[in-house]
Amino acid sequence: MSEDKKVFSRRKFLKRGGIILGGTFVAGYLGCNTARRFIAETAESIDLPAKITSFNPEFWFQVLPENNILLKSPKIEMGQGIFTGYAMMAAEELNVPIEQMRVEHANTATGIEDELGTGGSNSTSTLFKPIREMAATLREMLKLAAATIWKVPVNQVITQNGILQCGDKKMTFFECVTATKTWTIPKTPALKPASEFKYIGKDVKRIDLKDKVMGTAQYTIDAHFPNMVYATMLKSPQFNAKLKSVKTTTAEQSTDVLKVVHQDGWCAVVAKTQYAALLAVQKLEAIWDVPKLWQQAEMEAMVTVGKGNAVSVQKTGNAKSVLENGAGNVYKQAFRTPFGTHAPMEVNGTVANVTKDFAIIVVGTQNTVPTKALVAKALGMDKKMIDIQIPYLGGGFGRKGRFGNVVETALLSKIMGRPVKMMYTREQEFQNSFYRPLTHHVLSAKISEKGEIQAITHDQACPDMILKYVMGNRLPLKLLGADFISAGHGAGLLYNIPNKSATLWNTEVPVPVGIWRGVGMYPNTFATESFINELAHETKKDAIDFRMSLLTDPKDEIAQRTKKVLETLKEKSGWTTAKPVGIGRGVSVANDRKSIAGSVVEVAIVEGKIKVLRVLQVLDVGMILNPEGIRAQMEGCVMMGISGALYEEVTVKDSQMSVSNFHELPLANLMDVPDIQIVMLANAQEPYGVGEPPLAPIAPAIAGAILDLTGKMLRTLPLKL
Amino acid sequence: MKITFKINGQDANLDVDPLMPLLWAVRDELKLTATKYGCGKALCGACTLHIDGEMFRSCSIPVEYALGKNVTTLEGLPESHPIKQAWMELQVPQCGYCQPGFMMAAAQLLETNPHPTDAEIQQNITNICRCGTQSRILKAVKRAIELNKK
Repeated sequence: MSEDKKVFSRRKFLKRGGIILGGTFVAGYLGCNTARRFIAETAESIDLPAKITSFNPEFWFQVLPENNILLKSPKIEMGQGIFTGYAMMAAEELNVPIEQMRVEHANTATGIEDELGTGGSNSTSTLFKPIREMAATLREMLKLAAATIWKVPVNQVITQNGILQCGDKKMTFFECVTATKTWTIPKTPALKPASEFKYIGKDVKRIDLKDKVMGTAQYTIDAHFPNMVYATMLKSPQFNAKLKSVKTTTAEQSTDVLKVVHQDGWCAVVAKTQYAALLAVQKLEAIWDVPKLWQQAEMEAMVTVGKGNAVSVQKTGNAKSVLENGAGNVYKQAFRTPFGTHAPMEVNGTVANVTKDFAIIVVGTQNTVPTKALVAKALGMDKKMIDIQIPYLGGGFGRKGRFGNVVETALLSKIMGRPVKMMYTREQEFQNSFYRPLTHHVLSAKISEKGEIQAITHDQACPDMILKYVMGNRLPLKLLGADFISAGHGAGLLYNIPNKSATLWNTEVPVPVGIWRGVGMYPNTFATESFINELAHETKKDAIDFRMSLLTDPKDEIAQRTKKVLETLKEKSGWTTAKPVGIGRGVSVANDRKSIAGSVVEVAIVEGKIKVLRVLQVLDVGMILNPEGIRAQMEGCVMMGISGALYEEVTVKDSQMSVSNFHELPLANLMDVPDIQIVMLANAQEPYGVGEPPLAPIAPAIAGAILDLTGKMLRTLPLKL
Repeated sequence: MKITFKINGQDANLDVDPLMPLLWAVRDELKLTATKYGCGKALCGACTLHIDGEMFRSCSIPVEYALGKNVTTLEGLPESHPIKQAWMELQVPQCGYCQPGFMMAAAQLLETNPHPTDAEIQQNITNICRCGTQSRILKAVKRAIELNKK
């Protein structure tokens, strides 16, 4: 954010006079933190999610001189289109054309702080009401101010297209802002009913579209400060390596090298150019301490059902007893998913400008608040003196929920006394990251002589993805027994089967693991929905009808919405039409953060390889905000789903992850684009998650299609014939 | 070493290591940041640009190769360029990071082959996108072919 905007924001909205809140006059400029706290304590009528601070519209909105409205987003734009969604919500209540909306990330020095971070497909659902309420409040503030200026009753002032109007008197929002010294914040106004929505529910062009097409969109790697230098860190390709010693002389003498910093177990080269830093880091003579050479087979042995802590996450009836006793057949299968890497096209990195009394950290992070705390601690600076500035993220997928090299870059800037840019290399991005953990699943079902499913169990082994990272090696994980939040996400079975249970087996692996797009839903859906496809196949039932026959509880809202998704899949996919020779059809559904996603795919085997020809994606998102935005996310999930199902695999050899660059990580590309058909359903009164839910059903639907085509079930990702 | 060339029609006068990858010269020295670093090994195409009308992955060629030549980056394609217009119409980008490379690859393809088949588009544009915009990229290239005819 440029300096003049910041000055404008404070002067025009806060510094010029006071703010009146609930009858209390606040004299003078309070400073943002004081104001934030005060306002937070005073105006409690707005229902904000607990973890988001600041109730003052000034922190959220700024009226710009050209009468555009800037919304400062507490959530991160990483491609999912959240800026556009927020612009729509705000434009709706502000009565401004969407073209007049601008959205930027809130910077942490003056903006809203969001302690939850961006992820979990919750950015739309959690702020759907608050942003509209905040915008409505700002609109009413402007009307009150205009009424004072014109000396007319407020109910005679209307807003339209960013203009305040009373009879033949007219004024832009910006003119009103500049002419107003004292603001009155009204009680939260009532929100527009859905029948009056101008934007919500309609296709709106991405607000970041032009920047991204013209090449002007700024990412971390594009940040620049005068006098900036470039750094590259020394990293070992082995995940358990510790730097024992390093000879720096040759690197220090390398062209354009300014300094080699070696401290606290890490080492980095700082140079005048990126190229010089990359060359010099290769001249560091490092000795690494690698305590053990881990292998893939050991990882798989560790992550196996039956090992570690067992925690029950779902229990209806008594599945175990039904499985073990009485008539009927027991059907049992095991599934595996591999380690996964996020592979955002933009590598992680940081640009830090640390001076004696202020630090600007430019970093594409999904988690600003903990990033700030971490930098404050490392620099020994007060958090108030640190501004985390977030540019666009060149893809996140969970990877940018962790901190990358933000601490080291900040320290290097402090040491050098000048701005430092330090990006990961692609090799470091792939080898010095964290990974989606591998998983193992054992599913068993009791099939009666009539072919009914009487009981089903899902035992899942998965390392902890989040608890240990967030809480350290302390009590909680031991207390909780397993990472039911992430590993348990989607482990339970959706279907109305009288006896069902899901159990998590928590084991640790030496590889750093964490959240990947879709979290637990991704591996769990592959296993459970593949198993359901197998049960349908075993009992010679249609895979869609079979599922619908297990969604019988009329009081189970999720089950009923899932049934509608299945009905839509059946109807729109041509499921009941004859299949051409050589084509297999498969289906899968998943309920994720209240959204219901379902896929029907058609596959063929071309030159000995699986080829996905057609995908129908159906998503019940609760309420549709921006159909065009949802469509883009769903298409993205189709491609990422195909990529994961057919290609992506990361293994361990000698404590090293098998991918060092893209030649070792085959990903879906233009050759893999199927015919994609998208259908959105809206069966609730509020919007649910979109970014992750459509991903999970793709892989099991593909596996189901191969089962249909070949009679053979593939139970390990990636699927290999 | 002093290296001069034209970039997007402007003179570029650099005094850099002649072996510095063109990518870093363009981004850090000339401050044209649409061209992105993705892999450093000519694998992903995020750094795609044109030199004298030919397509290059600039992370893997030295800046001295551009000596006396004409370099074009995404910034050098006019806003009215059919590729940019098609990308706007189809709303291709999600995170957007790989798109400049895709657009430069697509622009080059249409220069050499104004009417590519679907298979030719798929075979010739080998860039990587992680958000999954591939289906829109295909549509946008086809739309650009139509816009080209007008």
